[in-house]
Amino acid sequence: MRSFLFITAVVAGSMTLQAKQHADSTQSLSELVVTASRRPLATAQTLEGPQLQALSSTSIADALKYFAGVQIKDYGGLGGLKTINVRSLGAQHVGVYIDGIRITNAQNGTVDLGKFSLSTLESVSLYNANKLDRCQSPSEFASGATVYLRTRRPDTDSLSVLGSIGSFHTYKGKLNAQFNHRGWSGFIDGEYLNSKGDYKFRYKSQYEDTIGRRKNSDIEYYRIEGAAFHKGFSTHLYCYVSERGVPGGIVRRLSDKYINVGREWDVDWFGQASWTHRFAHGHQVLFNAKYTQEYLRYCTDYPENQNTARVNNHYHQKDIYASASYSYTPFDWLSVNAGYDLRQSWLKADLRNFRTVRRLDQKAVLAIQAEQWGVRLAASMLYQHYRDHTRTHAGAADPLSRFTPSVTLGYSIKGFSVRAWYKKIFRVPTLNDLYYTQVGNRNLKPEYTRQWDLGLEYHYDTPLWSASAQVDGYINRIDNRIVCLPLKGTYSWSMMNYGKTHCRGLNANVSGRFTPHEWTFSLTGSLTWQKDLNKTNPESQSYNKPICYSPTLSYGITGIVGWRWISLTVSDLHVGERMWSYADPEDVLKPYNNIDLKLTGRWKMLMASLEINDLLDEQYEHVPRYPMPGRSFTFSLTVSI
Amino acid sequence: MKKEYNSMLVCAVALSTSIGVNAQEKLIVLNEGNWQSDNGKVSYFENGKIVSNQWFRDVNGYKIGDTPNDIIQVRPDLIAITVNWSNIVQFINAQGKAVAATEDIPNNRRLATDGNYVYVTSYGHECGTINGTKEFEKGFVAKIDANTFKVIDATEVGYEPEGIAYYRGKLFVANSGGYAFQEGHDYETTLSVLDAETLKLERTVDTGQINMCSKMSQSGQYLCLNSPGDYYDIPGATIIIDSDAVLAGLPDDNCFVSLTCSSTYNCTALDGSFYAVGAGYSYNSGDYTFNYVTIDPQKAFDTDGEEGIEEELPGSIVEDIKKMVMPYGIYVNPYTGYIYATDAAGFVEGGTLYQWSPQGKLLGKHGVYINPGHFLALNPKGESGITDPHQDTTDENADIYNLQGIKVSNVNSGEIYIKNGVKYIAY
Repeated sequence: MRSFLFITAVVAGSMTLQAKQHADSTQSLSELVVTASRRPLATAQTLEGPQLQALSSTSIADALKYFAGVQIKDYGGLGGLKTINVRSLGAQHVGVYIDGIRITNAQNGTVDLGKFSLSTLESVSLYNANKLDRCQSPSEFASGATVYLRTRRPDTDSLSVLGSIGSFHTYKGKLNAQFNHRGWSGFIDGEYLNSKGDYKFRYKSQYEDTIGRRKNSDIEYYRIEGAAFHKGFSTHLYCYVSERGVPGGIVRRLSDKYINVGREWDVDWFGQASWTHRFAHGHQVLFNAKYTQEYLRYCTDYPENQNTARVNNHYHQKDIYASASYSYTPFDWLSVNAGYDLRQSWLKADLRNFRTVRRLDQKAVLAIQAEQWGVRLAASMLYQHYRDHTRTHAGAADPLSRFTPSVTLGYSIKGFSVRAWYKKIFRVPTLNDLYYTQVGNRNLKPEYTRQWDLGLEYHYDTPLWSASAQVDGYINRIDNRIVCLPLKGTYSWSMMNYGKTHCRGLNANVSGRFTPHEWTFSLTGSLTWQKDLNKTNPESQSYNKPICYSPTLSYGITGIVGWRWISLTVSDLHVGERMWSYADPEDVLKPYNNIDLKLTGRWKMLMASLEINDLLDEQYEHVPRYPMPGRSFTFSLTVSI
Repeated sequence: MKKEYNSMLVCAVALSTSIGVNAQEKLIVLNEGNWQSDNGKVSYFENGKIVSNQWFRDVNGYKIGDTPNDIIQVRPDLIAITVNWSNIVQFINAQGKAVAATEDIPNNRRLATDGNYVYVTSYGHECGTINGTKEFEKGFVAKIDANTFKVIDATEVGYEPEGIAYYRGKLFVANSGGYAFQEGHDYETTLSVLDAETLKLERTVDTGQINMCSKMSQSGQYLCLNSPGDYYDIPGATIIIDSDAVLAGLPDDNCFVSLTCSSTYNCTALDGSFYAVGAGYSYNSGDYTFNYVTIDPQKAFDTDGEEGIEEELPGSIVEDIKKMVMPYGIYVNPYTGYIYATDAAGFVEGGTLYQWSPQGKLLGKHGVYINPGHFLALNPKGESGITDPHQDTTDENADIYNLQGIKVSNVNSGEIYIKNGVKYIAY
């Protein structure tokens, strides 16, 4: 899932900088539409083009971890679930969009980033709150933080084949064909990966010295996708088939006789299309449509697994989505955007006491953007309506209708921009939260977040030099957190609304690029400092203490040096100490430093690369007792014509 | 009871001339920790103070494992602990020193003993015995020889057997069927009665109550069990079993009485009654109903549940438990009558151990670790305090305890009891 194809020279192209101005208002639209103002309004970070490919990364999660404010949750290994959390809002408040259309999962509301490849992408962007285009669909306003994956539009014809071999018995093959003809462009991209994921780990402390090899952490997948583009029209087909082991935590055992085996099979596919068109003077329409189907089987019925119920469940999800948006720009200083979204989701599972659940999700938005004397304003009001239908025993949850606002103010002068924004948004309880047999609770209320942000940004650009910096201070409040807790006075667990958190933080990015003759030097850094405090119960010993798993300080630095046909990328990610329980000062996840290297060279039709991840072989965890793999090597060879 | 305690204290002080004041309150608390985080911990509490919240580690230099789930005293110097998610039955001595461990009983749950053997319920489907691995479709009961620490036999019972008690050579096993929502089978409603020696199934008693998944408290012939219901339409219940009626072969309906209160957390009080704290929850309404009751099992049995259930616990206990965030266990020290309960709070916070006098006066709160749910009191005259255990065997009027550590007033001929810290057979 690393880069394999460089049409332009690896480093000769512009090393697009993190936090660079990325034409807020154009990128999801047609290439023809260029109305970018050079003054950023939304808080955004982007990795794109060669820089994205130069990173040592196996999945989108690996690219996103370099953004300020991002925490990755990873259960280890290639097959482990990878989700991201932005500014401590929680994974379910992060919307992930491919070319402006959201990837959804009605069942659990999170997106496993491990399922998406970087190789077909032009850019990965993170917008706190949401992107601010003149014409957007309502669902683009509906999450606390948004990740945009922008598919690459080929500008030449080419064919390339990649083979790679890596640590822990990892083998990968990839094929990419792309074309550009008479205004049409597109690609077909197929990938196969097989990994045993049998990495070594070690736990060493005063009370143990456990050395082991991860078991049941294997993965095998096929991914095939294709896309076609023509002016304002784009379409994308995607299919992902996998089988993987779902390993358990490393706990005291007398031998390896029993392991907590769970296995998961996925078959996901979607087809989507989008069309945008500008007409007359200042009118624009945007239509999106998507059909998604997901199948998941989870099985624990194996003799070596004696610890859990013998489960063999099959889940089927279907999702139909359509949206229509219209924007009108009557004057240069004013534009209005109105849109309507309709989504229907079905979830079917062979769980006991479970019936098919159907959810109708409608959204409408009214947004304006205005500018006068250098001051810019963007404001939106989002209306969401959810109605579930089910014959599940307890019945459907009551319909939910809510209005939520957001407002952004910005001012730019001579490369400097100042912005301030506020956004209120909620996450609706997922179908699992509400209806999952025994655990689901149909009385759940939505989990609300409110965010305030004040930011400053600066850009400097010349052909030889460029630099940028941005810093944002923020406050987040979350109410009615949806969590799974034991029912008081019983041994049964259930979803509950419990918890309030207040978070204050600072995100900063700096980047610089220097490109003298045949050389490129680039350095980017991001930093997150935050205090994320529990405000649930003033009587409790954990009141005002940091939220579990939330580091106070983390930072990432990436440096790239390129000369003609060779380039070296070095990145270092530091994540500070995180507590995982309030019960004992020793219940902390140690800080870690991850240093990744990637060396790439190309010669005629060949490109070779060597990656070393976790150079120092640090033993660390995102989740206690789920060790991460430690140092690994990957060698790849690509042939392109 | 207060008087009795004082006299015991005097007696203990008199006995321990050489090593200072003898410990009266010795309590082991199992903190389950968080599932799959390998952070089960053992707390040791002595005379109003937590000695350590990682007692097992301190003594042994390694961790006990993931989710310790039950603890029982087998002999004065031998204690068994089921460490559920680690698949380990851990044996320690009264000083906390590990003496043996077996992983032949995966997914082990709860314990009973007759002093020579340890009986373990398991949700698992295979068991390594000295005669090879036995496989079961449902759950099973395994028998460990407490001298060799080998699993000598195992027998299939119902799905997900939970509580287990030893009485007059028989084992009473509550089948929960707790995996009913994930597996194909229904909740169980039965009690399996096995012969302890042969592990043969002798009888199955159908109580009509689903998912009997709590601790099984024992008071003489009576057993106390909880059914949480299904949280929708079937309400929770407390089931009182008359073991004698079961052994006498009376019809099922005459062997138990179902009470409408809940006893999620239950224990045996010094006077032979049961203390129970429970909650009913309804997904239909989203409401809880709590109850705090003292059950006189004999009276409840005789009146078919009409009488013998008092909505109270001694002193301020009810009031104090109501203030807890998440009650997680209740226990009476069978040697001293001191009462304990735990608050698990938010499950990522350290829990709290509450201690009350036998009259229910709150004596203190002590920080323990995550999910403190299981208790074992040690004999105050046990190991550490007594230099010559034979010295006071002449005390014919000393209190008598059964092998569950519960004080008894009447003994059955031919059974084993503990008196003056040593086992004897009653005649």
